[in-house]
Amino acid sequence: MSFKKNTLTVTPSAFSFSLLIIIFMTAAASVVSASAVSGPAGPPEADTVEIVIASPTSPVVSDFKYDDGNSLILTWVPSIDDLPVGGKVLGYHVYRSDNGGEAKKIAELIPGSNYFKDDDLYGDTTYVYHVVARSANSRAASINTEAIQPRREWVNLNLKYLFLIALIIAASVIYFIETAKRGKKLFVRKIAGLEAVDEAIGRATEMGRSILFIPGINDMDDVQTLAAITILGRVSRVVADYDTKIRMPVARSLVMTAARETIKASYMAAGRPDAYNDDMVNYITDEQFGYVAAVDGIMVREKPATIFLLGGFFAESLILAETGNSVGAIQIAGTARPAQLPFFIAACDFTLIGEELFAASAYLSGEPKQLGSLKGQDIGKGIAMLAILLGVLLSTIAAVGDTETITEILKFITKVFTVTN
Amino acid sequence: MEHFSLWLAAFLTLGIISFLYKDNAWYKLTEAIFVGLSAGYWFVALFWDNFYGKFWIGKDEHLYLYVGAFLGLLMLLRLIPKIGWISRWPLSFIVGATSGLWLINYFSSNIMKQVQATIMPLFSTQYGAGFNAEPATIIGNLVIVFGTFTGLVYFFFSKEHKGAFGYTAKMGIWVIMITFGASFGYTVMSRMSLFIGRIDFLLGEWLGMIL
Amino acid sequence: MSTKAKEILTLALIVVFCLVFYIRKVSGGEGIIFSPLVSWLVIAAMIISLLWVLVLTIKGRLISRRVVFVYVGIALALPLFMPFSQKIPISPEVQALYDSVKTLKPGSKVLISFDYDPPSAPELQPMAESFIRLCFERDLKVIIMGLWPQGPQQANMALEKVLSDDKMKAKNLKYGEDYVNLGFQTGNEFVIQRMGTSFESMFPTDYRGTSYDSLPLVRNVKNFSNIEYSFNLSAGFPGSVEWVQIAVDRYGVQLGLGNTAVQAPQMYTYLNAGQVTGILGGMNGGAEFESLCHYKGKATKYMLSQSFSHMIVIAFIIIGNVAYFLSGRKSALKKK
Repeated sequence: MSFKKNTLTVTPSAFSFSLLIIIFMTAAASVVSASAVSGPAGPPEADTVEIVIASPTSPVVSDFKYDDGNSLILTWVPSIDDLPVGGKVLGYHVYRSDNGGEAKKIAELIPGSNYFKDDDLYGDTTYVYHVVARSANSRAASINTEAIQPRREWVNLNLKYLFLIALIIAASVIYFIETAKRGKKLFVRKIAGLEAVDEAIGRATEMGRSILFIPGINDMDDVQTLAAITILGRVSRVVADYDTKIRMPVARSLVMTAARETIKASYMAAGRPDAYNDDMVNYITDEQFGYVAAVDGIMVREKPATIFLLGGFFAESLILAETGNSVGAIQIAGTARPAQLPFFIAACDFTLIGEELFAASAYLSGEPKQLGSLKGQDIGKGIAMLAILLGVLLSTIAAVGDTETITEILKFITKVFTVTN
Repeated sequence: MEHFSLWLAAFLTLGIISFLYKDNAWYKLTEAIFVGLSAGYWFVALFWDNFYGKFWIGKDEHLYLYVGAFLGLLMLLRLIPKIGWISRWPLSFIVGATSGLWLINYFSSNIMKQVQATIMPLFSTQYGAGFNAEPATIIGNLVIVFGTFTGLVYFFFSKEHKGAFGYTAKMGIWVIMITFGASFGYTVMSRMSLFIGRIDFLLGEWLGMIL
Repeated sequence: MSTKAKEILTLALIVVFCLVFYIRKVSGGEGIIFSPLVSWLVIAAMIISLLWVLVLTIKGRLISRRVVFVYVGIALALPLFMPFSQKIPISPEVQALYDSVKTLKPGSKVLISFDYDPPSAPELQPMAESFIRLCFERDLKVIIMGLWPQGPQQANMALEKVLSDDKMKAKNLKYGEDYVNLGFQTGNEFVIQRMGTSFESMFPTDYRGTSYDSLPLVRNVKNFSNIEYSFNLSAGFPGSVEWVQIAVDRYGVQLGLGNTAVQAPQMYTYLNAGQVTGILGGMNGGAEFESLCHYKGKATKYMLSQSFSHMIVIAFIIIGNVAYFLSGRKSALKKK
């Protein structure tokens, strides 16, 4: 909201002239506003009839629940002349008065409207509304609503079950993280493709060719990229031990810096800091297909023996996987994007499907936080599986029979998983 | 000028397509032009849309933009090795803020609503209606429920895939693979569509061979 | 002749071919359309050659991948010269989207988000054109925005095409009153979130630099509650998933989707859960929508090429599997 201040200095000699101007302009403005309400001004006709319409009725204003105290809901019964076909009502105007001041138009709505949500209000201001139906040349206003102040709710109780389930899962995650920190071994099932990592690096070493690591094209805020960088830590540690060449073209500058740190740390942990070189990781471009063109070129020219495609990919996934396949490299891929998984499965030797990428990251790093998170997620999956099994069973029985108890349980389960804002 | 731009676009298109035959100088030239051009484009776009459009124009009205700018400057400290560790703070902020936002979005839309949508009577269209669903609807319902449940079992990492659990997980991976096959087919269509677009340009706009 | 010489000769022939046709085009030459007889002969030749490839495969003489590329290229290009058209059955999800737009009253505001760039234009641009056309035909007001930088530019191209139609010219549609392009805003899903409170905070000016307040169409549009329908054209991130998660699930927006065929399968879960009103998936979805709108656009024109290419892919899947199983049998026999 902005305010403008105007000052006007009036001299006696200009007063009468100004008065004439003002009278003339007021008369003109009233003609203009009359024509705006009634439609474009045309030649006056002796037989123009005012179209009389009924006013909208029962305007009710109420607080919009579970917001920041800046919204109100206005409902009304539309004018009886507002018909789907041949109706005389052309629309509605909503007027609002703040703290008893002059009512101002705040919205123009189409015919058939009976609801309006007013946002951007203030909790310490009292508001009164009325609704005006308009025809081609007339208006009909409703009565005023009661005065109301919007209220702020601190908690959105519609989301209480979402909060509860999130709390259960979060508590499980924390519990398992603490359990892992205390040294207890957390079981994670075998993941096909992980055993192939060491084998693939060994192959590159024997062939004297490089390893190409592609962490996807997402930035560091994507959890897939984080998982890829974690696996990179493990891979680069083995690479440092075997003294194999590793090459990592990236599409984001943040990923480049994170990857360089990771590989450097691995080389230092392997006792080979001298062998590390910043050129192992280089930034290409942010542009998706520009990156693909460059990486394809690297694959064809350098012919790496092993290619890791781990992270977030989009349309470039098949191009990269197919080119890698054509140069005879062993390819280990993993992404959580369902749209790209079919390509990796078709063109790569091993694929980590969806959450297996995150599980692999936890499995290889052995980090308590990652392992604990994985176990906590399993609790969440368990809740979902149970809800689906129970829900489907109960709803199938309830649909066929008429059992009140089963219906009540079913309603509760459905209510828990229904999210409304 | 129009002639030049058409021939240039056709030259670059065919240069990229020539990769299908083998790697060659024409492809390398086109690739280099594309990589350089795209890097430059993104630099300019990010400068005008992000730095100028968001920060410079809005900084007087929205003082919190200075906080974002400051965090952005901290990122650049990575270039100074001695104090490069400070750049981890804005990185943590980005990761944390995005995680927090995505937690609610994904939890609500991709978990809660999907579980709600999966809870359905298998043989009826409404409660109390008896076995009134069509056979096709029943099969559809069974596929959805079976596929969702077995898929979840496959991704359960806390139990070894043995016995009945293992069989259920195996069915889950079959369902997943069938889904991937359908998705692959859809994607083949997408790739063909893009190639058709290019062929329309080459044979239509450039050579005028098609109407 | 050496391989190098063959390559140079092929390149020279291609250059001559292109020059000849370009000069022909510049001199006023029209497009080429095969007669039905020639078209059928071409189809027969393709089928026979594929059968020959199958025979060669059975005999153990595998063809090079470049031959497959040539077949795909021919399958995509030749139907563009054929006088045939394809029947396009309508999918329930496309019909549902069309029906949801039809329920909107004249004067309703429709928000269209252009979240794609030129590489995805062959799939999404026809959808954009037919959707905008439908909106104007039904006297709906169109508000355009984009979460991708090139999105609003694609929108302008679609608008230009639609408004050049005589039927649209007769409607005398005015920028700022009947349609508006708010432009691109960086911030991905955060933009959608902020739009839930205030459109103006994200788009203080439109694409041309005109202030939001001075545009009659949007000056009273505070946020999503003032919008009757939203349509999202998406090729990736940010896109449909974010619109569903934030605009639909948080703000209750009625949303229809137009996706590339890569993204479409992922969106069916949201359709099944009732979070979106309908989906146009890929070029096929675009062609179906054009059919419902009684308009023959590029999607309809390209469908024959699409179908031919799919048949070629199916043929090579069969040939590839024959090769795979035969090689498996051979190695089993060798082991014995």
